Parts: sequence; C-alpha cells; structure tokens
Amino acid sequence: MAHVTFPFPFPEHLEFLIPEMIIAMMAMVLLIADLFISKDKKQWLAYATVLVCIVTAVAVVQVTTGHSATSFYGMFVMDPLASFAKLLILLTTVFGVILSFDYMKNEENMGEYYCLMLFAVLGMMLLVSSNNFVTMYLGLELMALSIYVLVGYQRNVLRSSEAALKYFILGSLASGMLLYGITFLYGATTSFSFAIIGSALAESNESAHGVVMLGLVFVLAGMAFKVSIAPFHMWTPDTYEGAPTPVTAFISVAPKVAGFVIFMRILHDAFPAVQVDYTNILVVLAAITIVVGNVAAIAQRNIKRMMAYSTVGHVGFVLLGLIAANEAGYTGALVYLTVYLFMNMGVFAIIVLMRRDGMDGELLDDFAGLSKVRPGYALAMGLLLFSLAGIPFLGGFWAKYAVILPLIGAGHLYLALLAIIVSVIGAFYYLRVVKYMYFDDARVTFNFIENPAMKAVVIVSSLAVVAIGLYPEPVMAICKQALIGFI
Amino acid sequence: MESLYNVLGFPILSLSIFLPTAGALFIWMFLKDDMAVRWAALAVSVATFIVTLPLLLFFDATTAHMQFEELHPWIKAFNINYALGVDGISMPFVVLTSLLTVICIVSAWTCIQTRVKEYMLAFLILETTLIGVFCALDVVLFYFCWEAMLIPMYLIIGVWGGKNRVYATLKFFLYTLGGSVLMLIAIMAMYFKTGGSFSVLAYMDYPFNFDWQFWIFLAFFIAFAVKVPMWPFHTWLPDAHTEAPTAGSVILAGILLKMGAYGFLRFSLPMLPDASQYFVPFMVFLSLIAIVYVSLVAMMQTDLKRLIAYSSIAHMGFVTLGTFMFTEIALEGAVFGMISHGFVAAALFLCVGVLYDRMHTREISAYGGVANVMPVFAVVMMFFAMANVALPGASSFVAEIMVLLGTFNPSSEAMLYMPFSMKWVAILAATSVILSACYTLWMVKRVLMGDLVKDEVKTLSDMNLREFSFFAPLIVLVIWLGLYPAPVLDLLHVSVAHLVDQATSSKLADAALIAQGAAAHLTGH
Repeated sequence: MAHVTFPFPFPEHLEFLIPEMIIAMMAMVLLIADLFISKDKKQWLAYATVLVCIVTAVAVVQVTTGHSATSFYGMFVMDPLASFAKLLILLTTVFGVILSFDYMKNEENMGEYYCLMLFAVLGMMLLVSSNNFVTMYLGLELMALSIYVLVGYQRNVLRSSEAALKYFILGSLASGMLLYGITFLYGATTSFSFAIIGSALAESNESAHGVVMLGLVFVLAGMAFKVSIAPFHMWTPDTYEGAPTPVTAFISVAPKVAGFVIFMRILHDAFPAVQVDYTNILVVLAAITIVVGNVAAIAQRNIKRMMAYSTVGHVGFVLLGLIAANEAGYTGALVYLTVYLFMNMGVFAIIVLMRRDGMDGELLDDFAGLSKVRPGYALAMGLLLFSLAGIPFLGGFWAKYAVILPLIGAGHLYLALLAIIVSVIGAFYYLRVVKYMYFDDARVTFNFIENPAMKAVVIVSSLAVVAIGLYPEPVMAICKQALIGFI
Repeated sequence: MESLYNVLGFPILSLSIFLPTAGALFIWMFLKDDMAVRWAALAVSVATFIVTLPLLLFFDATTAHMQFEELHPWIKAFNINYALGVDGISMPFVVLTSLLTVICIVSAWTCIQTRVKEYMLAFLILETTLIGVFCALDVVLFYFCWEAMLIPMYLIIGVWGGKNRVYATLKFFLYTLGGSVLMLIAIMAMYFKTGGSFSVLAYMDYPFNFDWQFWIFLAFFIAFAVKVPMWPFHTWLPDAHTEAPTAGSVILAGILLKMGAYGFLRFSLPMLPDASQYFVPFMVFLSLIAIVYVSLVAMMQTDLKRLIAYSSIAHMGFVTLGTFMFTEIALEGAVFGMISHGFVAAALFLCVGVLYDRMHTREISAYGGVANVMPVFAVVMMFFAMANVALPGASSFVAEIMVLLGTFNPSSEAMLYMPFSMKWVAILAATSVILSACYTLWMVKRVLMGDLVKDEVKTLSDMNLREFSFFAPLIVLVIWLGLYPAPVLDLLHVSVAHLVDQATSSKLADAALIAQGAAAHLTGH
C-alpha cells in the first residue's frame, strides 16, 4: 500500500478548524458567485450569508469538546471559551446581516459587502482561538482590514470615507504598538506562545523586568485600542457615526467580544506573573473609560455618537470583570458581553428601521413622539435603554451585577463605587432618549422600513433582555461553563 | 425547606406579586378599548386586594417569625434566592399597597384620557414591584424590586404629569437611583463578609463589627433617606409630587415614602444595631429639622400639592424619630404613623385631584369659598385636613401620641450617644402639633372658606358618586383606626417587640469573639 508522505508534519486535530474552513470557503464562493448574479438577485447573497453563519454555528457546537485542546502545534486552541465567543460572534453577524438587508440594498458591489463581513468573522474566530501572539496578530489584522473597508463602504458618503480613514490610520498605529510590544516579550522570553511566555515570566529574574514591562504596556495599549478603552477610544465616535448603521451595529459588538476574549487569554495565560502590574494599569484604564464614556455621551445629539460613547462606558464595565481576574470575574465579563450583544443589536436595529428617504433617523430629536406613532418599537427601545442603564428587571442590571460583585470580592471597592456612581450619570442620557420617545410630541413624520426579519431582531433582542433580567440563571451558568478548561 | 412557615399552604405572596403583572400582560395583549381597559385594570387590582386579605385573616400575631414564606433558588451562581415572607411590620404594607392601587385606578377613571392602557399597565406593574419590596427576604430581590419600581414611576410622572414633568421625573429617577446604588455596594460587601449569603435573616444574625456597621449604615442611610425623604435629601419630592398625576402622588405619598422608613426597620435597626445607636443623635437631628423646619416651609407654599408634599416630609420626620427610639411604643407609633399617613396623605392628594380636575390649577390663590358650591367635598377635605393635624379621633393622632410618648421615654440604648435629654427633643417635636395645624388650617381657610368671589369657583360642581367612592373607605379607616387602633397594633406588637430586642442587643461582643477566633486561627492555636 502506497504510503502517503507529506512534505511537512500534518497538524493534528485539524477538525477543530472546520468552522473556520467553512467560513473561509463560503466567503470565497460568495465572492465568485457575486460575479454571476444579476443585480436584482443580489439579495440572495445576504440570505446565503445568514445560512453560512448558521451552518458554521452548528459546526462550532459539533467540534466543541468540553475541554481544552489545541491544533497547529499549540497555536490554535479549541476550548469552550473559544466556542462560546464564536457563537456570540456568529449571532452578532446574523443580526448584522439582517440589519443590512434593506440598508445596503441600493449600494454598489453589495456582494462584496457580505464577503467582507464573513472575512471579518473569520478573523475574529481565529482571534478567539489563538494561543499565540502570531495567530492572534493574524486574526486581528484580518478582522481589522475587513472592518476598515466595511466602515468606508458608502464611498460616496463623505463621512463614511472619513470614518474609514480615521479608523485605518489609528488602527494601524495600534497594530504597530501591539507588534512592538510583542517583540519585547519575544526578546524577554524567546517565544510567541502565551503559555510559554507565562511560565518564562514566572521564572524570569529582575533584570528582564524593564523589557517585560515595556512589552506589557505596549500590548495593553494595542488591545485597549481594539476594544475602545479610553484614552485609546478616540476613533470610536467618528467611526460609529460615519459607518453605515448596520456596520456600526456589527462593530459595536462582534470585535468587542473577540477582543475581550483574547484579552482574557493574554492576561490569564501570558501575564499571571505580572498580575499586580497589569491590574494597576487596568484599574486606571477602567476608571477613565467608565467616566469618559458615560460623561461624554451626555453631550451627544446624534444617537450613533451617543451609542459610541455608551459603548466605551460598557467596555469599561467589561474590563472590571478582567480586573477581578478570577472565575467569577471572567464569568461576569462574558455575561456582560452576552447581554450587551442583545442590547446594542436591538437599539441599532431600531435606529436602522427609522431610516427614511435615504436619511438615517439618527438624531435624538428624531425619536420624539415615537411612542405615539409606533408604540411597539418605543416599548422595545425603552426596555433596551433601561437595560443599558442597568435598571432591574432587565438584563443590563445583572450584567453590571455580575462584574461588580467579583470586583468587590477582589478588593477593588473604590473602583466599584466609582463605576456604580458613574452609571447613575450614564442613566441620564438613556433616560433622555426615553423622554423623547414618551414625553414629547412627534416633530417629523416617521417612515419605517417594514421588514419582518428586522422586526424579528428587535423582538428577539428585547425579549432576551427581559428574559435575562427576570431569570439570569441560564446565561450565568452557560458563561461559567464556558470557562472550563480556561481557568 | 420544611422550616418554611406558611399556614395557607399555597404561595399567597407570589400570587399577590404576580397577579397584577399577569393582569397587565392580559390587558396589553387583548384589550384595546379604553373603557374595557379601565374595567379590566379595576378588576385586576380588586382581585389583588382580595388575594392579600387572607394575609390579615390568617396572620399569626403571636410570633415574630416570618410568615407565608416561600423560598426558591433564583440565581445559584451567587446564592440568590427568591425568598418571600412577611412579619407584622411588613404585612400591613402589602395590604395597604393593594388597597391604594385600587383607589388609584378608580381615581384615574376620567381624569386620564390619553394613553389609558399604558397608564393602567404602569400602575399594575408598579404594584408588583411595591409588594415585592415589602415581601422580599433576600436583599438582592429587595433591591431588584426597589429599583424596578423606578421605571413605571418615571413613566407615570413623565407621560401624564404637569407642565414641568420632564424635569421632575428625571430628578426623581436620578436622585433615587443615585441614592440606592450605594446600597447595592453595601449589599455586595456584606455578601462577602457573611461568607456568601444574601439572606435578610442571615444578615440580621451576623455579628458585624463596628466599622462595618458604620459604613453599611451610611450606605443604607443614603438610600433610605432619599426615599423617606429626610432633610436634606427631600428636594425631589415636592417636584415629583407637584408634577405627578393625582394617582401618582397618591402612590408616592402612600407607599413609596414608606419604603424608605421600612428599610430602616428591616435593615438598619436589626442588622446594624450598634451603628443605629451611634447615629441616634444624627437621625434625631434630621427628624427634628423635618418636623420643625419643613413644617415652616410648608406654611409658605402657594401650590396645594407642594404644601401637602412638604407636610408629608414633616410627618415622615415623626416616623424616623419614632424609629430611632428603640422602644416598643415609639416603633409601633412609627409603623402606625406610616399606615395612617398612607391614608391621610393619599386622601389629601385625592382632594387636590378632585379640585384640579375641575379647575386645572393647583394654585391656592385661585380658590376660595369652595365650600359654598361643593359642600360634600368641603366636609371630606375638612375631615382629612383635621386628620392631617392629628386631631384626636383620627388615626394620625394615635401615631403621633405614641411617638411622642416614646420620645419622652426612650430606651437606654437610644441614649448611649445622645448629648442631652430626649425630653427637649420631644418638646420640639411636639411643636408639630401647632405647626401642622397652622399650615393645614390656613390652607383650608384659603381654599374652602370665605366668600365666593372668583367666577371659575362659582361654577364648580360637587363630587360625584365615583369620587366619593374612593374617599369612603379612607374615611372609615381613619376614624376606625383613630378610635380603635388595637387590631392593627395587635398585629404589630410581637414583631415590633422582636425588632426592639434586635435593635437594642449589641453585636459587638460576638464580633469581637469572631475576630479573636480568626486571630487564633491565623496564629495556629
């Protein structure tokens, strides 16, 4: 029997990458199919993208083993945490594609839009599975490059191009910083692997401390940029405002999920030896982020900008879970991301629905009197906003609860106090939108996009927020299980 | 689980909590017509009231144990339980809530014409959260209901309120939210201190040392003081009351204010007895300011609702004063005062509502000689004005006299940190009898008495049967409890005695023992 020999050792457990392979292949298939599909049938590409995401999600569930395993010689890790993050990302993508149905219908080259989305997802999936700075950088850049293009997709709209350019320049700078940090760490430990760096740092002597600190600071700064932690958040408002609204919805959630999961991996696997140092940095960053996000949001009149600052605020809260740095803290961060996914996608779905005559319904004034014209949407929006403000019986309360409790347990009482007091300030700008919807009279006529799938996104998101608010046990249990093999 | 004390054998508290929400969901999904919505909301609220009545009938007044208990795990990861139960202190408020909700819904029958459905839904959901607050035996569940209440109340004031409603409702929301988030932090800190429990009863038993008690007391104090409201945290109340629709003011004065005072009774006193004793002079000081200064402020109001709002703050000053005397008579007076104020203040706001529905102004100067055209109404308003003054025969008299008696003769624990005799406090507090008479009677004079000179007032029509229907039960209750308060006091008695026992027994000795034990453990003995 002929013995097949490979010119290189064949990686074990290649089946772990089946979801990524599906996405990569289908993205390319769609790209080619786009060439042969007539202009009025392009909508099928969107439906196909949703289908690809669902199939990939099934594949993710199938390859999940319930413990931690690696492929590609330890560079690719497959554990419940990665699977959980991938499912969140895929769900966000499904929502994002549905929001794009009508919005992007009249854009040129619509097919490429969905392919780019899939490539971004591929990057994120690689990112959350990476166990190594090289894989991580690959995933990060694949994600970032796709998103730069998505942000600038409306190339005839000035602010879309402006947003993309700003995002690209600042993003490249951040990637540079990240790479710079990685080289320092490589210099100190001669490895890219999180685990090997972790053990090397634990044994390293004082002489390498300066280099390690430099590496740590640059890596933290690079990551902080990617997940919009202040003071590295400057790109967020401009990018969110300029990007097509479905893209804003997508990038306000999916890259944050991916970024935080890899952030958790880096901190937990590579930097346990310098936990005191990185905690000090993160405490300051979290405090600044929460204050900046919530205070700056008050001044915004454009709801997309407001949501950008609100995102910064929420990112600060997720960071609190990482500061606690124990099982409860990481669980809290995952719970927060899950609830945040539904809240943000729901809010953006309503913003997209309010688009009229080619104009986005994106000023706060545009929401005036919504409750009289469309009570259903106003109710959903109201629930989502109260949830974002963290008021009980809604999911946002438990999200905040789940990160602040471990934070106090870890001894950061003052940070918890600050966070919770600032969240009261934050409640103000969410309540102001409710005020427009419920207390004011309509000033403009509403002309809603009528699309059952988009309506479904609104309904699913607001129901999820209420359900999690009343009975958070399942979500908390799932998030806790997602950490098996990681902690 | 088998230790749950529930003589009825079915979850009556859950039923009274969820019946209004279930009704609200039904109305939301199936009803469109305004009149159908009104009747359905009335039916739901009456049904809830009837469901809470067995609490009165089957309550065992001979024990301070929690009754009608329920316990289900809610969030296992944090050991949070859906734990319910009432004792003599909380049970009356459950019944009071369900009664006042019925009155609120009847009172809104004609004056709310826009978005009737949303209005009724908001009130029914509000009722759920309010009953939840009084039944919760898990601090997180308590906090959950305490905060969730803000959402319907925000909408009630903001959508159906007066012309300055947006400012008032935002102020109300942010003030109360800001006050209560510190309570959340305190709860979380206690969770770790007690080794992972959120049970109210466990916190009552756990010996916190003085430092812990001190800080937790302050955190709770801000949350409760904003809600009561105590001077100087009271500024949201006049605005909220003035701008709220009538029924909103009724529920605000009748129930929401009681939540703060109830918090002191349920949390501060039994969980933090030493800090409570330490803060007696402080609390007495703030209560006196509420009684004397705020009464003077009330006198100068030109707006009817504002005047009653300030008078509410003054009366709640009596409640907080009685709370921190740690004697049975004062505490019973405080609880009884809360119940009585629930009737009297609610009725006064309803009176203003009756006037407002006809004249659409709350300015005192717009009225005068109303008694000439609305004789029945004048009698009713006069009656509740007298009750507000705490005239003998009204329930409020019983409450005030009990609190004053308790203040003249406080427990020795209340005197531990008091720099001077409590007699002076009692004498100052007693001036309220005069001050409240001043502002109330002056208001009555300006509104009801005098000659008919204003044209608008001349055309007023007297109360109709519907309007009288929601005053009737309140009149009966105020007189009945004023002449014969024993039925309610009997319900309170054993629970209050238990509370006095908790509030006067120091936890410091046990805390020191635990600290010693920990030290011994650390040194390896």
